[in-house]
Amino acid sequence: MTRFILRRLLQSLVVVLLVTVIVFILLHLLPGGPARAQLGPKATAMAIANFNHQQGYDRPLLVQYWRWLTELATGNLGFSVSLNQSVLSLIGERLPKTLVLTVLSTLFALVVAIPLGVVQAVRRNRAADYMITFWAFVFYATPPFFLGVVLIVVFSVYLPILPAEAPQSSSLRVILSQPAGLILPVLTLALLTIAQFSRYMRSSVIENLAEDYVRTARSKGAGESVVLVRHVLRNSLIPIATLLGLSLPAIFSGALITEAVFNFPGMGQLFWTAAQTQDYPIMLGITVLVGLATVIGSLLADLAYAVLDPRVRFA
Amino acid sequence: MSTEAHSERVSRNMDGPDADAERNRAANAEAHKRSRLVRTLSTFLENRLAVVGVGIVGFFLLFCYVGPSVYHTDQIHIELSETTLAPSLAHPLGTNEVGYDQLGRLMVGGQSSLEVGIAAALLATAFGTLWGAVAGYAGGVIDAAMMRIVDALLAMPALFLLLFLSSIARPNSGLLILVISLISWLGPARLVRGQALTLRTRDYVRSVRLMGGGPMRAVLRHIAPNSIGTVVVNAPFQVADAILTVAALSFLGLGVPPPAANWGDMLSNGINYVYDGYWWLIYPPGLAIVLVVVAFNLIGDALRDSFDVRLRRR
Amino acid sequence: MTPVVSIEDLHTDIALRRGVAHPVSGVSFTVNKGETLGVVGESGCGKTMTVLSIMRLLPPGGHISRGHIRFSDTDLAALEEDGMRAVRGTRVGMIFQDPMTSLNPCMTIGDQVAETVLLHRKVTRAQARQRAEEVLELVGLPRARERLDSYPHLLSGGMRQRVVIAMALACEPELLIADEPTTALDVTIQKQILRLIDELRARLGMAVILVTHDLGVVAGHTDRVAVMYAGKIVETSSTRELFANPRHPYTEALFRALPENVERDRALYAIPGLPPDLSNPPPGCRFAPRCGYATPECRAEEPKLTGDRHPFACFHPLGKAGQTAANPPAQPPRAQQGAPLLEVRNLVREFPVNSNGVLRRRIGTVSAVSDVSFGVRAGETFGLVGESGCGKSTVGRLLVADDAPTSGSITFAGTQITGQPQRALRELRRDFQLMFQDPYASLDPRMRVRSILREPLAIQRRGSAAEQERAVATLLDEVGLPRAALEKYPHEFSGGQRQRIGLARALALRPKLIVADEPVSALDVSVQAQILNLMRALQREYDLTYVFISHDLSVVRYIATTIGVMYLGKLVEIGPAEQVHATPVHPYTRGLIDSIPLADPEREQRKGQAGVRGELPSAFNPPSGCRFRTRCRLATEICAEEAPAMRRFSEQGQQAACHHPLRAAL
Repeated sequence: MTRFILRRLLQSLVVVLLVTVIVFILLHLLPGGPARAQLGPKATAMAIANFNHQQGYDRPLLVQYWRWLTELATGNLGFSVSLNQSVLSLIGERLPKTLVLTVLSTLFALVVAIPLGVVQAVRRNRAADYMITFWAFVFYATPPFFLGVVLIVVFSVYLPILPAEAPQSSSLRVILSQPAGLILPVLTLALLTIAQFSRYMRSSVIENLAEDYVRTARSKGAGESVVLVRHVLRNSLIPIATLLGLSLPAIFSGALITEAVFNFPGMGQLFWTAAQTQDYPIMLGITVLVGLATVIGSLLADLAYAVLDPRVRFA
Repeated sequence: MSTEAHSERVSRNMDGPDADAERNRAANAEAHKRSRLVRTLSTFLENRLAVVGVGIVGFFLLFCYVGPSVYHTDQIHIELSETTLAPSLAHPLGTNEVGYDQLGRLMVGGQSSLEVGIAAALLATAFGTLWGAVAGYAGGVIDAAMMRIVDALLAMPALFLLLFLSSIARPNSGLLILVISLISWLGPARLVRGQALTLRTRDYVRSVRLMGGGPMRAVLRHIAPNSIGTVVVNAPFQVADAILTVAALSFLGLGVPPPAANWGDMLSNGINYVYDGYWWLIYPPGLAIVLVVVAFNLIGDALRDSFDVRLRRR
Repeated sequence: MTPVVSIEDLHTDIALRRGVAHPVSGVSFTVNKGETLGVVGESGCGKTMTVLSIMRLLPPGGHISRGHIRFSDTDLAALEEDGMRAVRGTRVGMIFQDPMTSLNPCMTIGDQVAETVLLHRKVTRAQARQRAEEVLELVGLPRARERLDSYPHLLSGGMRQRVVIAMALACEPELLIADEPTTALDVTIQKQILRLIDELRARLGMAVILVTHDLGVVAGHTDRVAVMYAGKIVETSSTRELFANPRHPYTEALFRALPENVERDRALYAIPGLPPDLSNPPPGCRFAPRCGYATPECRAEEPKLTGDRHPFACFHPLGKAGQTAANPPAQPPRAQQGAPLLEVRNLVREFPVNSNGVLRRRIGTVSAVSDVSFGVRAGETFGLVGESGCGKSTVGRLLVADDAPTSGSITFAGTQITGQPQRALRELRRDFQLMFQDPYASLDPRMRVRSILREPLAIQRRGSAAEQERAVATLLDEVGLPRAALEKYPHEFSGGQRQRIGLARALALRPKLIVADEPVSALDVSVQAQILNLMRALQREYDLTYVFISHDLSVVRYIATTIGVMYLGKLVEIGPAEQVHATPVHPYTRGLIDSIPLADPEREQRKGQAGVRGELPSAFNPPSGCRFRTRCRLATEICAEEAPAMRRFSEQGQQAACHHPLRAAL
């Protein structure tokens, strides 16, 4: 177990380093390189050359990478010229709101998707299964911004019961104090995740239902509910832990679009604005951060796997 | 939409239990009578949902490629006297904010969406397959290094990378294809690598070496043909995801510049008029995307069922 | 005699993708209190579906279409699901075939056994746990109390099966159903588990239904037998009566296919053809198409199961004399004198065990093969036997250079194979080939038989395309497959046919030596007979030398000229086949022979308690001195201190490595 954790830690470390390498390469892919990134699109060639010399950007790439990496390690993600603020503080402001959105929607998705998947597996190839499958396919196939707009049309325009825009505030408390404004964004993001998770849960339960140990449990006289709850559910949930870790990037991508649709002042919106103003330090900073979060997420998922599955725990 | 969530769709047999010798035997006898291709095809066609999927894709191919030669419209010159007209006999789906006929635009835009989706999926699948096969067959340090690169790219949300890449250069269809496949080869790479790892230890691959054959023969004659199923099954999902990605990029303001168009651009343009009641600018392209993506997913699901080894043995 | 369960005219159907299979069509039998009924037949005969029908645990699509299952005063066939649940686990317990998969991997064994009690008795958790401990002790799980909280994967197969038995017995059922309970286990463990079931039956006064494909298991552990073929019972009587006087030609054919009953200079009796398709069974007697005695009457009309004490369903039953004709003669292999074709010297194969940590330190070795030496002469069959994990398959892989030894040498036809570079080996490989165990995994599912058989010829660039084509056709004839097979894919064949294709591929390069790794262990006994006969015939024709690796000493005794017995990486005994089998010297060989169930109730009963006790120790840190000492009844101090050396015990070359041999050395 300790060995397993150690090895996973080492792997994660390698992946994190690779993430920084990729971002570093992206930074240098920019026409004009990091100078253009810092000084913005209107900078003159002269200013860029000056800046490069001043910042050491004319030194060998490896040296530059090392400098950049040590800066990163101390939390310096760069400076946004257009917003005149350090990237770290910008992210610090926006991150909690994105977390509210993603955590709420993921929890909601799990609460809905797990029972749905179980129902589908139990009623496999019956009407209920086909219905859920149909909607899962439809929601999966709907671009999230389209879904968001449809929800707005239905719930804000035709039956004006919910606001079309998320609460606007820089304070998390204000946002949380207007829960109605959060319903549509959370729902948009959740519907997409539900579609995926319920499909996954369905096949996981179907697979476990076919295992010999289920037949053994039935031969002991266990009823279907006991078989499902005590035997199948737990074993089927184990892979969901991994899926959760792997889905983090997809959830963040979804949040990016959802925030744009509902004008929700989170990290995704920050990224979007940055993309439109070509504010590269913000974009790269967020990418590094999300990459890190994903690596940590899948590490935690694997550890959860190890705790949940005794075959790994005692290996 | 990133591809990682699809790994489950391909890796698992959804048809459930079959530990049952009687059932196998009876079905085996039946299997003798029919060739494999016919059986694969018929299992596929038996799946009514798959037929629906093929039907939808076929319809849109006709609509987008044959449609414009039947229904002529001008999709190049803007017509400011005819902006945002509601559907009428002259314009069955109305016109948009610069006067293009919406129905005609749906046809032209569909060409672009389908082409980008399919081309990106093919490119990503080809590259991912190669990467995964090499990693899986090589094993050891090479495998570890190659797969950590995949992990690192998977750790970055695809949209973020895409947004970054396409903000460097103004996108056109060619660039979109390249950029999307740059992100989506990771799924097939992982799948094929997993497949290669297991195939490498199969008795029939081992036997090649015992007959004096080299690794080239093992890969080309045995590992590649046996992983093709996985790759083929994954491809429709890749197309579906690529079409969704194009749409997302359009919404984020990184679509192809007019007069070129794709469904994503049309949809995100239309959304600007959501409060004006111009529904014909929103729902037709939105529905087109949903229908095509659902169709490709249905095809992928059915392909998996008919390729599945455990099902094939019956 | 009080009947516990009595089945009347049971019909079970399973809906398939196309059509309906009828795996059980009109089965009737009764099991009395305290009695064991054996249900025996080959795979696909419907025996498992019959017992699953009793439990009402049929696979999806399965249902009982007709008949009654009378269990005390209820008819289980008509009982609703709720009522059935009150029967399962309390009044009827069931043991399944594969103990590796039949336990929930994420639940402790204590909880799993306690669950049975909690489901049916009004007890507290603590009481249920107490009961679980009692039952686990009852089934002989060592240190039961400590193990209550351990998970199944930490236990060996034999121990897991004990846990499954404990679950089935926790509520002391009136009927225990055991579906191939020992098929996945080694023969020494099989003996222990079957004895345990016998003891528990006597102690708890249960009725037992024992489903098996193994006539030996039936002979030793049942009171009455029902022989099933194609969904019907063809013959049933008391065990002694059935073995002494089989009446149905199918029963007789099964006996004649067993290698243990056949002299080495006779061929095995192989039942021709395949069992019928159960979704469309033939009219008349279902065995008629494969029966040597069948007449037009058999094909037109179905014989009824009739008779009082010994019913059978046949128009042409065998007489009191039993076997009607002797098996046809077959020439045993002839070994050539002179230098051995294959010479193995001090072979060692160790697998390093690395820590899983960052530095991957080497923390030890698994000693899979330890100092093994033997020689094989041209034209002979060298049988290598032992239980799983004894290293026999590793030796097989080393012999065909699929793996390189840690030390020691293998010399083939005067050339040393070990230490050769891959390039040089490529040329040499045409002379020695491997035949695989699993006929499903060894053929590429995406290749036609034509390409499969041509592949070795193409690799070794043997002849022109036309010549290869001809060679492939000849190979098919030799292994008895029709030419039409060329265009087919492996999945279109049965297991036995696939094994024929595997044999043809191994033969394609006309090798001198074929190493066959458990070539018949995945096959039914009648198909096994076909393959063994074929291997023998081809050996004569092409002067082949075989190394035949198997866990089944009866098969090896029949096919081999020399037997080597392995235990935990060591060769413990070697010698002429008849000698090793009839008068073994090593206590392990003796124990192995005693563990094999013989299809003869009298001899089975005489063997009584004999066998091997305990379980196989780990090859990671094997016991010091003699590796068998931990399970040996004769072991003394010296066995722990000193590894015994090989000594000669007969002029014909019987050797064994033991401090306390069963017979004095020469």
